[in-house]
Amino acid sequence: MKKKIALLMAAVMAAASLSGCGGSEKVTTEDTTAGSAADTTQAVTEGENGDVKLTMSWWGNQVRNEKTQAALDLYTGQNPGTEIEGQFSEWSDYWNKLATSAAGQAIPDIVQMDYSFIDQYVKNGLLEDLTPYIKDGTLDVSDISENTMASGTVNGGVYAICAGINAPSLLYNKTLLDKNGITVKDYMTTDEFIDLCREVYQKTGYKTNIAYYNAGAYLDYFMRGSDVVLYGDKKMGGEEKDYLPFFQMYETGIKEGWFIDPGVFAELSIGSVEQEPLVYGSSPETMSWCAFYNSNQLTAMQKAAPEGMEIGITTWPSADPKKSGYLKSSQFFSVGAHSKNPEEAVKVINFLTNSSDANNILLGERGVPASSVIAKELAPKMSDVDQKVIKFVNEVVTPNCSPINPPQPDGASEVSNLLNQVQEQLCYGVYDAKTAAEEFYNGANSIMSKK
Amino acid sequence: MTTRKKAGKILYHIIVCGLGLVMIYPLVWMVMSSFKETNTIFLTAGQLIPEKFVLTNYINGWKGFAKISFAVFFKNSFFIAVTATLGTVFSSALVAYGLARCRFFGRKILFAAMLLSMMLPAQVLMIPQYLWYQKLGWVGSYKPLILPYSFAIQGFFVYLMINFIDGIPRELDEAAKIDGCSYYSIFTRIVMPLITPALITASIFSFMWRWDDFLSALLYINESARYPVSLALKLFSDPGSSSDYGAMFAMATLSILPAVTIFICLQKYLVDGISTSGLKG
Amino acid sequence: MKDNKGAGLRHFLNRESTAGVVFCLPFIIGFLLFMVVPMGISFYYSFCDYNILSPPVFTGLHNYIKMFTDDDVFFKTIGVTFYFAFVSVPLRLVFALLVAMLLLKSSKATGFYRAAYYLPSIIGGSVAVAILWKRMFATDGVINLLFGFFGIHTSFPWLGNKNTAIWTLIILAIWQFGSSMLIFLSSLKQIPVTLYEASRVDGANKFSQFFKITLPLLTPTIFFNLVMQMINGFLAFTQCFIITQGKPLNSTLFYTVYMYQQSFEFYNTGYGAALAWVMLGLIGLITVVLFATKRFWVYTEGV
Repeated sequence: MKKKIALLMAAVMAAASLSGCGGSEKVTTEDTTAGSAADTTQAVTEGENGDVKLTMSWWGNQVRNEKTQAALDLYTGQNPGTEIEGQFSEWSDYWNKLATSAAGQAIPDIVQMDYSFIDQYVKNGLLEDLTPYIKDGTLDVSDISENTMASGTVNGGVYAICAGINAPSLLYNKTLLDKNGITVKDYMTTDEFIDLCREVYQKTGYKTNIAYYNAGAYLDYFMRGSDVVLYGDKKMGGEEKDYLPFFQMYETGIKEGWFIDPGVFAELSIGSVEQEPLVYGSSPETMSWCAFYNSNQLTAMQKAAPEGMEIGITTWPSADPKKSGYLKSSQFFSVGAHSKNPEEAVKVINFLTNSSDANNILLGERGVPASSVIAKELAPKMSDVDQKVIKFVNEVVTPNCSPINPPQPDGASEVSNLLNQVQEQLCYGVYDAKTAAEEFYNGANSIMSKK
Repeated sequence: MTTRKKAGKILYHIIVCGLGLVMIYPLVWMVMSSFKETNTIFLTAGQLIPEKFVLTNYINGWKGFAKISFAVFFKNSFFIAVTATLGTVFSSALVAYGLARCRFFGRKILFAAMLLSMMLPAQVLMIPQYLWYQKLGWVGSYKPLILPYSFAIQGFFVYLMINFIDGIPRELDEAAKIDGCSYYSIFTRIVMPLITPALITASIFSFMWRWDDFLSALLYINESARYPVSLALKLFSDPGSSSDYGAMFAMATLSILPAVTIFICLQKYLVDGISTSGLKG
Repeated sequence: MKDNKGAGLRHFLNRESTAGVVFCLPFIIGFLLFMVVPMGISFYYSFCDYNILSPPVFTGLHNYIKMFTDDDVFFKTIGVTFYFAFVSVPLRLVFALLVAMLLLKSSKATGFYRAAYYLPSIIGGSVAVAILWKRMFATDGVINLLFGFFGIHTSFPWLGNKNTAIWTLIILAIWQFGSSMLIFLSSLKQIPVTLYEASRVDGANKFSQFFKITLPLLTPTIFFNLVMQMINGFLAFTQCFIITQGKPLNSTLFYTVYMYQQSFEFYNTGYGAALAWVMLGLIGLITVVLFATKRFWVYTEGV
């Protein structure tokens, strides 16, 4: 009996020591292992014997993880004494983790940034202003165009360096249209686009998906065509009537039958390339002849397409697509404000941006390289599809593009969600275009006014 | 009589089998999909049998990410799930016994606190917990994934075991007390053996839940080489660009194997409990 | 002297009240260390305007007032969540109990069956389930095919229709009844065989055995499962998050998913915390009601 009690007490003591309340030598194995683990990671942030330890985080798929890590390994090989720990996650996980570590004032040294988050991160002082490093030559941006630099500039400070250039692109089923003698021209207006949708529907039975439930970026583009900047200061740009044509486009599509039945989208994962109605579906009834994406996604879309389907690329339609057009960064590299070695972090970004060796590994996986020199150097090494993208970006979009709108402010994601909801009501026939415009404009203004 | 019995037996197997097929259809679908060529998974989602069986998904998937293979992720998951489960089951049994068999001041409050702590969605505690564990210096280690569970903080398990302990006749305790047993030896000698089914049930659940948990791993583990399988599986999909669904299905299939194996091995103890362990006080 | 002290301590430790505290020590420490602080912080956030990225600003009851006066989605999700919980939980329990009864016999075959019935719960909320579930209920999916088999040719959009979409999630919840089944199984085995033997001698048939012995002795387990599953039902997240995300027309938007959107997609984290605490209040209330009914139908052995 006595032994039993002793044993139990030992267990309790061990438990107490685990909690850090008592110092006992009886520490269970899990504690030691977990403890040593903590020590190693501690080392990553603190560094020892003058070595520089950096962390870099990004989102992406297997290919990106592979290539980026290889490029970082190349850097650490060339710079002994520097260690870089790559942390990768899936898109939504990435932002959860980054936000959480921001709350704990511990964001990584180098972070991959997105256009829709940059404003919030900068305004909350979470990113380092890179201007001094550009001035002292640590970061060489001489080969990056002004438009591209502008997209990473907030309130006059450069907070993010473009990791790949992108342009809004309408991807379409070229094989299908060619077979039916339908041609697509660049810079279609909304009316021309609607006519095209009708024609495709009549001749082939294929329907149209206009960025259903994912139209935030498209609305922004659409409004630029009528000189309206989507987000103002704590309010929406333009007036209610400016938004009407956008919703009328959907209304027309639903009425005339060429817009995909909204029920179909409930069976898909929206935004997933593999499940885009352009490439996925069992009948023309549930498929679309086009999809609203970005140029760097052509490769993925072509890969997801069934055999024998060639994907074409053109501009998104709007009232005046030449006014709407812009180049954007598919993503940025930024330096976290909590970094202990911002200068070393900047050097890595410089390496990823300007080194031929690094870009020979990365191969424009994030979009057309921001540095024009690198882009030119890389072009011949790229696949046919990638070359098609470069051609589209350089020859079609660049000649007519204007600077992108300022980064989306706080509240934009809530407004985008509202847009999805309104669009859904409209496509299910609950709202007409006028009500939709009204609901959206008022709702969005009310969201923005509270920010 | 015997023919009726036989017919009944056959009918039983037909019903149970038929229903069983419905139950495992999705699993079969997933396993089959893992043998399809990755770019045909969606296009042929409607058909169960692959046109061509390929192993490339397993090969590509196992390679993992940036030179870290799935062997590493599996090792990490095993370490986390096993230690956290041992901690959970042992600590929950202790607490359950205390709450079920001892009357003391604050018992009801503890019970209420236990239930209460189950009623807040895990997502809402994400940030506060992160901030707190950061203060404790635990971020970057497995501690947040293991240690809290060794303190019976999952009310579900405690309550589960209370329920089982309640099912043990109190006369056994009383008899043992008369024989001079303390509360502690009653716990180890009588209660623990008698609640074996509950311990096993709890182990199965705990292992599975710890194995599947990716949220805390996402927040607390920074080094990719220390990711568990649950988190690594998510890395195959990137909505904006190409996802390797084939590799994901292949690794997802492998990742359920441990739980399935454990279940198959333990399920017979699960229901044998009381009859075989007997009542030796 | 030393012996005396040891005996004193032993006596002290073996007092019922001391033993209780000692046994509960892990939870007391764990609760104070790991739960109280985070819960406290989140409770504080619920009174703040907080967007994760910048420090919280205290705004008093603002979040709670907004919820009840200026948020239609809040009421909508409460409705959806109650519907889901009150429909899926009882069905799941009945199903789990029935299957547990079927699989009670020990034989080689039942071991295999048990595994088969438990498998769906193992794959849980994986991406594979999400994809598969959408495929099954698609207009050209297995479910409609099955209807065609019985002569009803339809291409009904189960997921796209606002009245039926929630049922696809309810069916998923029922399908994953494994955990309740296991608990039923192991407590069915706790019922002493002698009771059945005695009643057989008395000439009772299987049917009356079930209602006179099995069911009453199982009521504590049924109660336990009911409480746990109710809490789980109200906090259900995965099904909606991976399959419907609330579509269509918010008809499947679970409360927790809405809370998640507010907290991590719109960065209204303070508001999200307030939503969580209101949910805690609601679940707490339901649990108290359940416990109040306990003495009317739950069998407790002579205590």
